[in-house]
Amino acid sequence: MRQTTRRIAGMTLAVAMSAGLLAGCSKGNEEQTGQGASASTGASQGASSASTQPIALEWLGYDSYGQPDPNSSVVKMVEKKFNAKFDFWYVDSQKWEDNLNVRLASGEMPDVLKITNRQNLPKYVSQGIISPIPMETLEKFAPTYVKFLNENYPETWDGVKYQGNIYAIPMTNLNGSYPTVVIWRKDWLDKVGITKVPETIDEYEQAFAKFRNDDPDQDGKKDTYGLSDFALPNILGAYGYPGISDFKGAAKGDASKSIQFTMKDDNVVIAAIQPEMKEALATLQKWYKAGLIDPEFVTSENTTGYWADSQAFYNSKIGITGMSMFYHWRNELNPDIPDDAGGGQYKAFKESVPSGEAVFGVPAVGPNGAAGTPMWDTASHPIAITTQAMKDPQKLELLLKMIEAACTDYEYYLTLTNGQKDVDWKLDEDKFINLTASDTLAEANVKGKNVLNAKVSYDPFIKKRDAFDYQFADKYAKIAGYSAVYVPNVEAYGKYSNTLNKLTVDAYFKIITGGADVDAFDKYVADFRANGGDELEKEANEAYKTMVGK
Amino acid sequence: MRHRRTTSDTVFLVFVYAFLGALSLASLLPLMQAITISLSPPEVVNSYGFHLIPTRFDFAGFERVIHYDTIWTAYGNTIVRTLLGTAITLVMTFLGAYPLSKRTLPNRKLWTGIVVLTMFFSGGMIPAYLLIKNIGIMNSIWALVLPGAVSAFMLLIVRNFIMALPESLEESAKIDGANDIVILFRIVLPLSLPIIATVGLYAGVGHWNAWFDSMIYIQDERKQVLQMILRKILLEGQDVSAESGSGVHAQAVNSETVKMAALVVSVLPILFVYPFLQKYFVKGTLMGSVKG
Repeated sequence: MRQTTRRIAGMTLAVAMSAGLLAGCSKGNEEQTGQGASASTGASQGASSASTQPIALEWLGYDSYGQPDPNSSVVKMVEKKFNAKFDFWYVDSQKWEDNLNVRLASGEMPDVLKITNRQNLPKYVSQGIISPIPMETLEKFAPTYVKFLNENYPETWDGVKYQGNIYAIPMTNLNGSYPTVVIWRKDWLDKVGITKVPETIDEYEQAFAKFRNDDPDQDGKKDTYGLSDFALPNILGAYGYPGISDFKGAAKGDASKSIQFTMKDDNVVIAAIQPEMKEALATLQKWYKAGLIDPEFVTSENTTGYWADSQAFYNSKIGITGMSMFYHWRNELNPDIPDDAGGGQYKAFKESVPSGEAVFGVPAVGPNGAAGTPMWDTASHPIAITTQAMKDPQKLELLLKMIEAACTDYEYYLTLTNGQKDVDWKLDEDKFINLTASDTLAEANVKGKNVLNAKVSYDPFIKKRDAFDYQFADKYAKIAGYSAVYVPNVEAYGKYSNTLNKLTVDAYFKIITGGADVDAFDKYVADFRANGGDELEKEANEAYKTMVGK
Repeated sequence: MRHRRTTSDTVFLVFVYAFLGALSLASLLPLMQAITISLSPPEVVNSYGFHLIPTRFDFAGFERVIHYDTIWTAYGNTIVRTLLGTAITLVMTFLGAYPLSKRTLPNRKLWTGIVVLTMFFSGGMIPAYLLIKNIGIMNSIWALVLPGAVSAFMLLIVRNFIMALPESLEESAKIDGANDIVILFRIVLPLSLPIIATVGLYAGVGHWNAWFDSMIYIQDERKQVLQMILRKILLEGQDVSAESGSGVHAQAVNSETVKMAALVVSVLPILFVYPFLQKYFVKGTLMGSVKG
């Protein structure tokens, strides 16, 4: 992005304040603003006068791990195909909000904007940054995509609506339709004489007890445990919707991991305070006292590196792990990739324990028949069009045409996501072969990969491209899962979520480790409700009902 | 001349040395761990326990870091930024502090007050952003070196340092026929070397480590500073949302080795410069802290 001097006045309080502040020293600029954004600036402003001229799009519809090279073949190809010109915004992906907010507040705006945090959507609407997209326009220019969403991911529309209007184009996440996995040490099960991978909570318990006492790693020391923190949501799931979906995340202060919304009798409720969690915690406390749970679960089994790594599992300390995706633990090799070593975590495990064997299991089935591991969201970051771009209807049309093309033309889609044909990838008859699979996310962005597909991830194409992986997923990862109810942003969440997260984490850890009696759960629930939990539940329920229109 | 030690002296010294020894170990061990991990294969990194001495070598981490294209342009940018920024800071700070240290300066209290005032108020990020944008230094190195060129705190330290120099020195120089410029360059500057080294090191390390301004003001990846790029490498594997929706092969698996290699690469230059500046540094801070 080069500097643009276009500014839209009076957008946020911040701008108002700073504009006032600057009025004294840069009068010229203020006058420009009054005249409307475009005319006086020297920046590339050729759009829309004649139809033969390319449509200029300021593009922030991607993940921005690296700065796209405007001369890369992918970008050139798309520009030619649609007679467009892209001006890429580059916003640091790790500090996305800080960075973007400053630029938005100073009056700069891209044309196409990815919304990383859906809770920001109402804010962007009230600040006049994003514009509603009429359903008719969507259906007119992107019929295949709209049909795909309606048939497979109708729930994703809820996340982009505000007061009944659609403000962004939903993007989907195929992996989110597979629950997080359950991984067992098969060689341990064999050693302690269990032939069937455990399925019920009782079978789980028996296996864990044997892992603890029968020295499955045969080093003569009683230094093995059944489980650590990654498997806890699975155990909670045997009783009902897991109150905490990620113990490490919640303990680090991420409230979205402990405040999970679920439906009960047509009402939105908070999972962590449901009575069935008391039962679950009682079981965990019993296990902890019996020594089945690694006492170091408090500091997580992932002690270093990539989040899905489980050092406790790699070091033969525990016999079950989970919380990651099927592709992390893929234990079958893809015959089409010469040096394939399986999923990244499976590979790391094999490097640490060459004789070890890791297999996929199923979530524990509890006394009432409940079972499941937490699932990721099926919605990915939606793509919005800004008020600035709406001044020129061609821009929205162009964006939608680009999205439509990405789900109707397989080779075009491959180019968008994987780079130049015969350089970055090739088709061997119908088989997709990735020639630059080792590119990092940043390198991929520079080459123009995953930049102009507007985050479209069209299932039929993905399953065709990564056929082996999804066949594997369908075989092993089609297990029971809990998916969260999407609840729109409510004020109480911002107000209370940190306190409530802290309460929940404290209570859960204390009860599991025996630091508090199981009955302390009742006091926790009362505290939770009194400290804003009730208000949050009520607001969430109302917001949900308004959103779905009940 | 040898001083005879009493028992209590010995006990005291043992304690002092033990404490200092523990302190230096506490800072050395993590560094050794980082260096070892940067050189080790993944199975060693994933195993439990300390890794203080590398047992098996694997340079994959360094290879990855070194082949990270933008890291070299970023290195260059950081070096230029540090040199330019430090030079500007030194000149400006000194030129600001010298007059303020002179008792003969009219309204000296007022000027000092104005400088001190800036320590209590700041405009905030968005006004700063607008300012940078509107004076037209956005996306250039000036956005990194100009806004923080003079720190009020440093200015006061330097002022106090110069005030502590005996005035009679300057008087005698004047009697010998030196004018103000000569006094500044021949008398005051040479005597101020410790404080110059201090300010230079503070500013230099500050510029070397800074990344936030670069993130906000620099929108072109090729103009980013080193720390920004390293930060990206460090955090790249942490982002779960990086995986959602981008297919199974786009995993950002980034081993600890790469991160530690990045860390070592960034730490080395300052590590080499520091020992040579340290003696001035100690002197400079101590003397600057004497109130005048």
